[in-house]
This record gives sequence, C-alpha cells and structure tokens, in this order.
Amino acid sequence: MAEAPVITDPFTEAASRLKTLNKVMTSKAAIAQTPKELVWTLNKAKLYRYIPVLPKEKRHPVPLLLVFALMNRPYILDLRPGHSFVEYMVNKGYDLYLLDWGAPGPEDKNLKFDDYTLEYMPRAVRKLKAMSGSEEFSLLGWCIGAILTTIYAALRGDDGLRNLILLTAPLDFSNKQGLTFARWVDERYFDVDKVLAAFGNMPGEMIDYGAKALKPVENYVGNYVKLWDNLDDPRMVEAWHAMNTWVTDNVPLAGGAFRQLIVELYRNDKLMRGELMIRGQRVDLSRIHANLLTVIAEGDHITPSCQSEPIMSKVSSKDKELFRIAGGHIGIMAGSGAAKYTWPHIDGWLVPRSK
Amino acid sequence: MGDEPTQNGKRFDPMEPWRGVRDIYMDAWAKTMVEMVNSDAYAQASGTMLDSYLTVSTPFREAIEKAMLKTLEQLAMPSRADIVSIAERMTNIEMRLDDMDAKLDNVLRLIAPPVASSRPEPARAPQQKKKAAKTQQAKSAKRGKK
Repeated sequence: MAEAPVITDPFTEAASRLKTLNKVMTSKAAIAQTPKELVWTLNKAKLYRYIPVLPKEKRHPVPLLLVFALMNRPYILDLRPGHSFVEYMVNKGYDLYLLDWGAPGPEDKNLKFDDYTLEYMPRAVRKLKAMSGSEEFSLLGWCIGAILTTIYAALRGDDGLRNLILLTAPLDFSNKQGLTFARWVDERYFDVDKVLAAFGNMPGEMIDYGAKALKPVENYVGNYVKLWDNLDDPRMVEAWHAMNTWVTDNVPLAGGAFRQLIVELYRNDKLMRGELMIRGQRVDLSRIHANLLTVIAEGDHITPSCQSEPIMSKVSSKDKELFRIAGGHIGIMAGSGAAKYTWPHIDGWLVPRSK
Repeated sequence: MGDEPTQNGKRFDPMEPWRGVRDIYMDAWAKTMVEMVNSDAYAQASGTMLDSYLTVSTPFREAIEKAMLKTLEQLAMPSRADIVSIAERMTNIEMRLDDMDAKLDNVLRLIAPPVASSRPEPARAPQQKKKAAKTQQAKSAKRGKK
C-alpha cells in the first residue's frame, strides 16, 4: 500500500499562518483578567477595586486611583496577564482602584468636564476613602484622564490628594503648529456644533479615525504587515491580538465634553491660560500642591511633549518630577518596554510617597 | 536545502530582501503621509468632506426621525426622546442615592468605635477571616471564663 503523500512544509506553514490570522482578526483576546470587585456605580461610570494579593500590613496605606481617557476602554491598563500595569501595581502592594467611565449614551450628550470632575470624581473618591479607610490618596490620569485629574486637583486640592501622576497629559494647546489635531479642529475647517447636532455624542469610530489618521500608513498598513511578518511568533501574535482588541473597542465621547475639548482647550488653550471655568470656578493650576510626576513619551504623536511640560512651572507642588521615556502615547504603558522602564519608575516614585 | 541553516544559524529566507525593500518603501510612504495629514490643505479637505456629508445627510436623518416618531406614536410606544428623558431621571435618582450613601457612611463613621475600620477585606481575606474568627472565638472564650 502506497504511503500517503506528505504535505510539503510551505503549504502546512501557509495554512497555519492563515489560521492564526483568521483567529486574531475575527476574535477578541482575553483581556482585563486581574481580579476585581465593583464597589461603586453612577450612571455609566464604575469604580473597581482590585483584589489585593498582599496582606494588609505589607500594602501601602495610601490607595491609588487610576483615571483613563473618556473615549477609550480603561482595560489598556490591565491588558493581559503578565503584561498588565494593574497586575504589576497590585503585586507591588498598592490598594488599587480604577474609574471606568463607560460608554455614554444619547442621554449623556450634555455631560461636560464639569460633571466628570465635580460630580463623578468626588463621589468615586469618597467611595475610595470609605473602602480604603485612608483620608489620603494618589491619582493617576492618562491622556484625557490627565486633563480630568488636573482639573480635579486644582479644584479639589483639599480633598486629600497626596500624589498626582500625569501620563501623556494634553494640557497646553498654545503650540498650534505642533499639534495636528489642533489644525484639524480649527474653526475654519471643523464645525463642532454641526457634528454634535448630527451625532449627539462624538462617535467612537470618528475618534478612532482621528487618532489613526495621524499616522495613516503605520496604523492602516504597517500594523497588519507587522502581524503578517510575525505570525509564527506566538508571543508577538498574542500581544498584537490583545492590543487590537483594545484598539477596535471604541467608546463615544460625550458631546458636552467633546465641545469643551475642542473649543475651550484646542482652540483657546483656556486651561493653561487660567481661563477655564468649571461650574463657575476658575481652574487655577497654582492651587495644585500635590506631589507631581509628569510622564512624557518622547515619541508621542498624539500628545507631543510641548503639551505636558508647561504644567511643571504652573503648579505650586514642591515635590515634582518630569520623567521622559522613549515610546509612544500608548506604548509607554502597554508596550514591550513598559514593564522594564515606565512601571518601575512610577512604582519607585510612588513608594516613598505612599507611606 | 532551503531549510538548512546558514552560517549565522538562521534559515535562508528568499523573501528577506523583498521585505527590506518593502520596509524602505513603507517608511518613505509613511513620512509623506504624515506630512500630508499635518497640512492645512488636508485639514480643509477633511473638514469640507465632513461638512458635505452632514449637510447632505441631515435632511434625510431628520425625515427618518420624524417618520419614526409618528410611527411610534401610532403604536403607542415610547420614543427615543422619552427613553432618554427616563435615563436622565434615573441618573438623577442615582445621584440622590449616592448622596444618601455618603450621609449614611458619615453616620456609620460617627457611631462606630474609633478603632474599627470600615475597610473590607475581600478575596484574599479567607485566611485572615479565619484568623479573625479564631481571635474572636478566643476572645469570646475568655469573656466566657471571666
């Protein structure tokens, strides 16, 4: 009896690659796996507390609250087991909380920074204090989350905020030539009211397009070429799959907040000029006294360093540090080098300030 | 033959030179595109496209909304606006509840013994809970002896 013909290697390899490609393109990776409990909700917002892994006496007494951007899912902070900032910090003994803004619905189209910073955040902080038993806390804001935490720190400086960490914070909008977004949303070209009249909230797909169009070839072509080249490498495929799951999970931005972002910040730079009004209160950055760590990604095309640096001279904090690190807007916290450089630096800065 | 490792230990890959050329071409393309999107001309073009889309689509959208509203009225069903209104009211109720929760926390803090902590110990707690239970039992036993 003749032996069955052996399938040549190139065909088997090609079939295997196509199978892997099909899997990562059509499924969602298992993400946000660190155990947590839901401790507070308000409208779409949820406050999670991560289950501690160290006994109480080995934990830092000052809890840490993570605040991510409004228009992306916060699980980028807890992307996958073994590669998660949340998991890392929990293992380091932090009492860790995450404020998830959720996805705004049509009923939330009027939500503004005012609501997020003076309704939602103080309530979440109150719950955090009640849960942790600590009157002091640390706050980490990333991207738009850093805008919210900065406003909060300026308006609620007496609320027990001890440490403020700002990651890739878009705060200064004075350098219009250096900001591609500022060019796109210039009032000559972009009618924000017409867009919001049509959609109510800014659709997640449009925000996603805006972020990707800053580097169109890398995002629309290079990203997939990179995947194709590394289909034989399970670690690369797993990382790509998790990141793609996050990137494609878009959230709309509440209309009121989007309008403020465009008109008051991108066009008029009101935060840095000390003219931003939140519920009748002027946001005065000199009222920030908390210890401050500002992290800048040197390769950040979404928030260039010129947007994050100027806050250092505006705050009244005596203890402040500007930390620059190679990498992109997301890469510094979720890229392959994050666990080697960014996370240990944040932990190292926070440890002596969390006692 | 092609699978045999070369001197540096890597297998010969006939596509490698092609990949090199591809990467050089993509780098150049990427730089050109970044310059293009970062121009006033692109901002104007994309703004005009969006504006045109909104101008054209708005009458259709409004007509559909009106028709839908009338249909829902005929069927005695709530409209989108009705549901949005209810959702807004629910958020307000949630806020009131949260205010009450805050007040209750304050009351509990005031009436609680000064040593007691309000901090719960979930998940990792089983061992500690057992310890705490043992301690509690021991205390009870002592009290019993007394």
